[in-house]
Amino acid sequence: MGIYHGDKMMRYEEWSKLARKASKKSLWMVHFCTGCGAVEMPPVMTSRYDMERFGIVPMATPRQADVLLITGYLTVKTLRRVIRVYEQMQSPKYVIAFGSCAINGGMYWDSYNTIKHLEKYIPVDVYIAGCMPRPEGIINAFIKLMELIDEGKARGWEKYQKYYDKYKENQRRAFNFEIKEEQKEEENEEH
Amino acid sequence: MKSIELLGKGEEMYGRAYIKLNVNELEEAIKKLKENGFTHFVMLSCIDWLDKGKFELVYHMWNYEEKEHAMLSIDIDRNNAVMKSMSHLFPQIETYEREIHEMYGIKFDGNTRLTPFLLENWPHAPPMRKDFNSEKFVKQVYESIPFIEEDENEGI
Repeated sequence: MGIYHGDKMMRYEEWSKLARKASKKSLWMVHFCTGCGAVEMPPVMTSRYDMERFGIVPMATPRQADVLLITGYLTVKTLRRVIRVYEQMQSPKYVIAFGSCAINGGMYWDSYNTIKHLEKYIPVDVYIAGCMPRPEGIINAFIKLMELIDEGKARGWEKYQKYYDKYKENQRRAFNFEIKEEQKEEENEEH
Repeated sequence: MKSIELLGKGEEMYGRAYIKLNVNELEEAIKKLKENGFTHFVMLSCIDWLDKGKFELVYHMWNYEEKEHAMLSIDIDRNNAVMKSMSHLFPQIETYEREIHEMYGIKFDGNTRLTPFLLENWPHAPPMRKDFNSEKFVKQVYESIPFIEEDENEGI
């Protein structure tokens, strides 16, 4: 955004505001389902809750989509696929995380194979609390996301670009189930 | 029950036949049951008896005519966990053995497919063993990964 100065900068700001206003009304989501929240999506898509009245459409490929839904817990194996999908999406892109599993592990808090905080690996714009959230909650989250986009606050993708190295390092540690040396030392002291 | 009559031992447990066998009797027993109507191999399960120092392997078989569920149970040593593969009798046993090899670290002689199955890049002890401390593992691996805080002075 730093290319333009003075009046031109103003014009750019105004145009991007307009673009945001338009794009928030046509959020396309990746049809990527993990965990138990996937089953909440069909009622949201179909006639009962009908998310298409908000301009939200499921899309077949990540390259055409704006929103990635993480519908529940993620194993490390799935996280690898999620990151591939997320990196294929074009900016601006947004992430909505469902349920307590994506927030802090939920009922899988002591599981050896599920990640606990999704936010450590990819930036999340909107969380929905619940286990699992009802379709109303999902619609609510989309409306919240639209507000954030309108205000220019849904900037997770910019955060991902800026702290790319840190995110990559966190992802690498999870993929390798890495235990740091200082963690091991603490363990020895306990015994 | 038919399987108890065929093998000459075992007891009825919750409507199923529970038959305790020695390791060397197992192959003959599975063959015998297979010839006498137990044509469906249901699953192979494993129990870790930490205090007794052994693994229990349970071979579940089903008879469609008699509607009878037979469980053939054997014990193997926990410290030297090696078992003969039974995959030549029912081909699906290969996959069950593969999973148990990954989750409990039991080696199956004669199974050529003991490659990583559900876990990717797993460098630690088999996770389903009772002495695997899952809570400590979570603390060391997942909880030690830092959150990514935004630097407020810089902005995005």
